[in-house]
Amino acid sequence: MRRILSLAHRRKESCESLRNHPRTERETLVPHSMPLLPFYIASAVAAVGLFYILRPNKPALRRGGAVVALAGAGLFISEALRLAGPPSAGVPIVLLIALVVIGLYAAVRVITHPRPVFAALYFIVTVVASAIIFLLLQAEFMAFALIIVYAGAILITYMFVLMLADQGPRDSIGHIDDDGDYDRVPREPMAAVLVGFILLGTLAAVVERIPNASVLAESSLDQKVARQQTDALVMMPKHLLNVIKRNNPTAVSALVPANAAIQGSVVQTQVTFADGTVKDIAVDAAGTIDNTQMVGLDLVARYPASLELAGIILLMAMFGAVVLARRQIEFGEDEVRDAAGLRRIVLDVPDHERAANGGGA
Amino acid sequence: MTHILAASQFGASHAVTITLAMSALLFTIGLIGFLVRRNMILMFLCTEIMFQAAALAFIAFGRMRMDTGGQIFVIFILTIAAAEAALALGLVILLFRRKETLSSEAWSELHE
Repeated sequence: MRRILSLAHRRKESCESLRNHPRTERETLVPHSMPLLPFYIASAVAAVGLFYILRPNKPALRRGGAVVALAGAGLFISEALRLAGPPSAGVPIVLLIALVVIGLYAAVRVITHPRPVFAALYFIVTVVASAIIFLLLQAEFMAFALIIVYAGAILITYMFVLMLADQGPRDSIGHIDDDGDYDRVPREPMAAVLVGFILLGTLAAVVERIPNASVLAESSLDQKVARQQTDALVMMPKHLLNVIKRNNPTAVSALVPANAAIQGSVVQTQVTFADGTVKDIAVDAAGTIDNTQMVGLDLVARYPASLELAGIILLMAMFGAVVLARRQIEFGEDEVRDAAGLRRIVLDVPDHERAANGGGA
Repeated sequence: MTHILAASQFGASHAVTITLAMSALLFTIGLIGFLVRRNMILMFLCTEIMFQAAALAFIAFGRMRMDTGGQIFVIFILTIAAAEAALALGLVILLFRRKETLSSEAWSELHE
């Protein structure tokens, strides 16, 4: 036990030495011995709240559970925020927190709503909330792909299957009052919440370990983006020409020589103009390529094999779904002969008719 | 004009942290839902919640490092989620045809 503790201590020290920036502010705020204690408390509070939401009991108790769970989630997020360091401008934090609350509330409704169709609809709310968070994090393409693929395709598939399999309450005839009876009472809520609590505590340890933005200094990120954009611009000659045409409308072609001088984000380019003159022009790559272009270029330039693999996986899934969902229908001989345009085989034909047809079938 | 990467938009460490915390909470909710629900379709819906949490974490980390790898991985997560949904729902339909119920309890004894 002591060995484990000392190991953990040593690892922590090495972590601290890795983050070689002053952490005085955090050390005054957090007791050094138990930096994770607030996360554990928040997880426990959220778990207790969720347990009372899940258990079938009075609505008042459920509402109380919701409040407690919300408090736990809020404590968790605020603790993570405190570790993130001083606030910075750029992203509307209030909007982000509202989206987080909406998304988490909808997710809780997914796992607690007695009607499956409503649960699926609440999942769409979660998807849309996370899509807007993607937008705030500058992942525009993924935000809309998420809405189209998740809310538009996957969830519709779920709804189809739900309606195919679940006919809903059939009280008009009277034999089934509520189809969701087996889903009304949760299965082992105590054990499930306990597992969730342990998982959340473990994840909190990871979130706590994540270095804040000061580890990746903004100037170095700035340089990284400039380098990425420069490389991307060199790889996209048509886009490069378009960028040049903004300032030089008569340019007809642009060429980056193999040994072109690249300083920072400025690329030396050989530009041919409409009147045949060739000039060297320095192009500043910074700000010429937006996020979606960057993602598209990287998708085909950095991960082409993964892209092909994704296609194969989708194809295999399609085959699998077709094979699984195929229903074996037994056709009789008569239906098969009808479909093939043949006459039916009639066995009990009277003797005099068979004689009249000259042998018959 | 589309969103241009620029230095002035850096410093989103708070957004990244909040998103990571939401990702952790969402994953936990999905796991609890998977353990708690009995309806097989909703159990698979809870795995989709967990996929969602993973996608959020990827986007947040990609934003933190200013790397498009995070976003590209989310494309593959979407692919896997779609494939998983198709196969899982095919299986659910198969099982529903056998026993006329969506309850996973009906399959607790797998002998036939």
